[in-house]
Amino acid sequence: MVTKVLCVAEKPSIAKAVANHLSGNQVTTRNVTGNVYTKNYEFHYNFATWGNCDVVMTSVAGHLLSHDFASQYRSWRSCDPSALFEATIDTFVEDGKKAISKNIEVQARYAQILYIWTDCDREGENIGSEIRDVATKINQRLRDPGKTVRARFSNIERAHIIDAARNPVPLDDAQANAVASRIELDLRIGASFTRNLTLSIQHMLQGEEKRVVSYGSCQFPTLGFVVERYFRVRNFLPEPFWTIKVMHEKEGIKVNFRWARNHLFDRMVVVILFERCLQAKTAKVTKVSTKPTSKWKPLPLTTVELQKCGSRFLRMDSHRVMQLAEQLYQRGWISYPRTETDQFDRGMDLRALVQKQIQGGPWRQFAQGLLDGGFSAPRNGRNNDKAHPPIHPVNFVDPSVLTHEEQRVHEFVVRRFLACCSQDARGSKTDISILYGMETFSTSGLVVLERNYLDVYPYDKWTSSQDLPNFREGEVFEPAEARIHDGKTSPPGYLTEPELISLMDVNGIGTDATMAEHIAKIKERAYVETRPRGRQPRRDDEDVSEEEQPFKPEVARGRGRGRTAGRGRGGRGGGNARGGGNSGVQEFIPTTLGVALIEGYENMGFEISLAKPFLRKEMELKMKAICEGRKTGREVVQETIDQYRAVYARTQQRLDVLRASVQRYVVAGNG
Amino acid sequence: MATTASTSEVKNAISQYLTSKNVPPTQAWLRDFLPSIRLNTPIVALQKTALFRILCTDLRSSVSQASSAVLPSDISAPEVKERRLDGAITVQVLDFEDIGHSRWSQVENLEAVERGEMTKGREIIRVADEETNTDPNHTATAEASSGPHKLLLQDAKGTKVYAFEMEAVSGVGVQQLAIGAKLVLRDVLVARGVVMLQARSVEVLGGKVEAWDKKWRGERKEMLKRKAGMREDGGQEG
Repeated sequence: MVTKVLCVAEKPSIAKAVANHLSGNQVTTRNVTGNVYTKNYEFHYNFATWGNCDVVMTSVAGHLLSHDFASQYRSWRSCDPSALFEATIDTFVEDGKKAISKNIEVQARYAQILYIWTDCDREGENIGSEIRDVATKINQRLRDPGKTVRARFSNIERAHIIDAARNPVPLDDAQANAVASRIELDLRIGASFTRNLTLSIQHMLQGEEKRVVSYGSCQFPTLGFVVERYFRVRNFLPEPFWTIKVMHEKEGIKVNFRWARNHLFDRMVVVILFERCLQAKTAKVTKVSTKPTSKWKPLPLTTVELQKCGSRFLRMDSHRVMQLAEQLYQRGWISYPRTETDQFDRGMDLRALVQKQIQGGPWRQFAQGLLDGGFSAPRNGRNNDKAHPPIHPVNFVDPSVLTHEEQRVHEFVVRRFLACCSQDARGSKTDISILYGMETFSTSGLVVLERNYLDVYPYDKWTSSQDLPNFREGEVFEPAEARIHDGKTSPPGYLTEPELISLMDVNGIGTDATMAEHIAKIKERAYVETRPRGRQPRRDDEDVSEEEQPFKPEVARGRGRGRTAGRGRGGRGGGNARGGGNSGVQEFIPTTLGVALIEGYENMGFEISLAKPFLRKEMELKMKAICEGRKTGREVVQETIDQYRAVYARTQQRLDVLRASVQRYVVAGNG
Repeated sequence: MATTASTSEVKNAISQYLTSKNVPPTQAWLRDFLPSIRLNTPIVALQKTALFRILCTDLRSSVSQASSAVLPSDISAPEVKERRLDGAITVQVLDFEDIGHSRWSQVENLEAVERGEMTKGREIIRVADEETNTDPNHTATAEASSGPHKLLLQDAKGTKVYAFEMEAVSGVGVQQLAIGAKLVLRDVLVARGVVMLQARSVEVLGGKVEAWDKKWRGERKEMLKRKAGMREDGGQEG
């Protein structure tokens, strides 16, 4: 008897692509009652494990199941919000997904094998388990060992898919449970705090603001960073500083020497030191060293990097970049765009990938050059999520089939990949130090000898400085010019998106999959606004204002990032389609409501404020622990609920503080 | 097999020891100190205790003002371009300040500490290092060091003078140095009335005057804020 296999992908586009690859485009397409987008693709295929099979490939549209509190808790005034920590949660199929769910049931009834083809990350694992739940309700036998399996794939390229089809693996229940826990926690904590927050301050808000004031355990710390930077900028006090500049002219070239002390905030001391320089009359060259130097090619591309670069170089917000990347992935042009991995697996045939890019595009000659001997193994970063490779182009694509925005993201991915496979740029750096009085000054010159990767990656800049004249160690000269120069410190700018992404990444809130969403959320909730950063005049060494670097606290820079994929997997083209093409980097300004909320919670004076990243970071770490089998979902849910319940109770006691903050920033601020 | 020394033997041994450490005690101080010790304690221990104690006092009352061991009274005269101070002079630290970093950044750092962000597990990383993609031999310059510092020093007679840390002197820093700590200046250079401190001309004896230090630390943040909001010319009063 021919084995019947039911394959289920996460989205219609994936289902179609996989079905076509496996069947050699010999597919019968059938409609699904009640849903226009979902199709069933019927074909024959010989799976290595099960022989000749009749295959039906279909898809869901993100999560099949929805979760909400039991009906008696749904109304906001039905209970005290804190009851939601323990209230029963119903799991059900919402109306919009009923047709899809029914389709799964119908197809599952006669299937011997259930083959899950959802995207390979935590969220996908969870959706896979939902599909399994729906299917096994109708067909118990699918619960038998080996009857429900999943495919491991990172892109939609044909050879890759066929290879994946040959090597099914079990569903990872640990990951599915991590997501289930996250969903439950977000629901309980989100709902209870949101209800409490809204009910407490809604009456104080006017008009537009008189809506739901939401709380999210990730949104708040994200908003916290924005507000904190806002206050830093507003409270900034510019301070005068003084420096000594030395200039000497030799061989017709004017050389500026920079003070080793950079600058000092005490004029008297600088004047004294300056006098001693003048008193010495001559300066002596203490060091002349010319060394080869290089500018490293970039690391393989991760999601966080893509978002930061998208913001910085493509002037697109992170949400938009991810949407476009997702589209490129679904159509088989790039690999899975949600990854933390910044090292290429040694076994990967990178040359073959480079080969694909010689067919066209402005980089084709460069790609050819790589194949002709310029190829160099990519650098290895420190991260490997073991699930997906760094983002890279999988095929050659004629740009005309892409929209303008897609082209820009695609181009970035290709150029980045080719840059990874190039040599570092090489140059020669000359450092010269002089002793003038008792003060040390230095200058340096750079000659770029080989641009290498820079030729395909215009996003990095490295140019030769002006030539330096020849100095000898021990040489003595009288500087042409020496003077005291003053300046003022200037405030940092408001937070830009790349900076915010960096902060979230480094402080462990959100994951590569979710950071863009949290940022989109605080915009949607009108907790922040964005505006283009005002043009700041280019400052060179000569100029007056130099920004002071803030103290860097001495802490360990652990880069352990949690991996909860907390994104809502709705259908494509979700919510905030923010247009790209903004000129100038966008900066975030909190709204009065945003400020009121953060300040309100901060002023409650808890050891751990909701506006700080610690709680969320802990949650992300616990998610990781579930995935790695170190904790169970139940344990984590219980621990986290207990933590937040305590916070909730304290918040209740200090609601007056929150109201005072709203009064101060919102109410008094209006009119 | 310690024998109980006589009071005057002990007094001399302690006095000699402290003098060798450049903190020769006044008779008054010795008189106050002696009743607090047990004469049959080994002399070495007594000497150490004495040193520790005297380092916690106000020099003006505890250390003898032999003329060779104090600052010239006109030390701060700005008209004198340069002079050298021969010999060893002991001073105490009345105040000091990091003049290499803006006061505002120092305030922010203090506030981060207050918020508990320096404790393990509660760190908030605010500056995400952009990847330095240049030569690995190129040392990263990011460190949280402080300085250079400007200090206000006072000798046993009460004469005050400013000092500047020309090169890093180990033991000078907000964490390591306390108000009231004692330094010994040796053959030190003075430019326009400011002592130029170098590692080879300074010995940090340490110590602290508890009351002064506590007050200083308590008021430090406000003082930094005030100074940050200072008038434009940024001049420091002498």
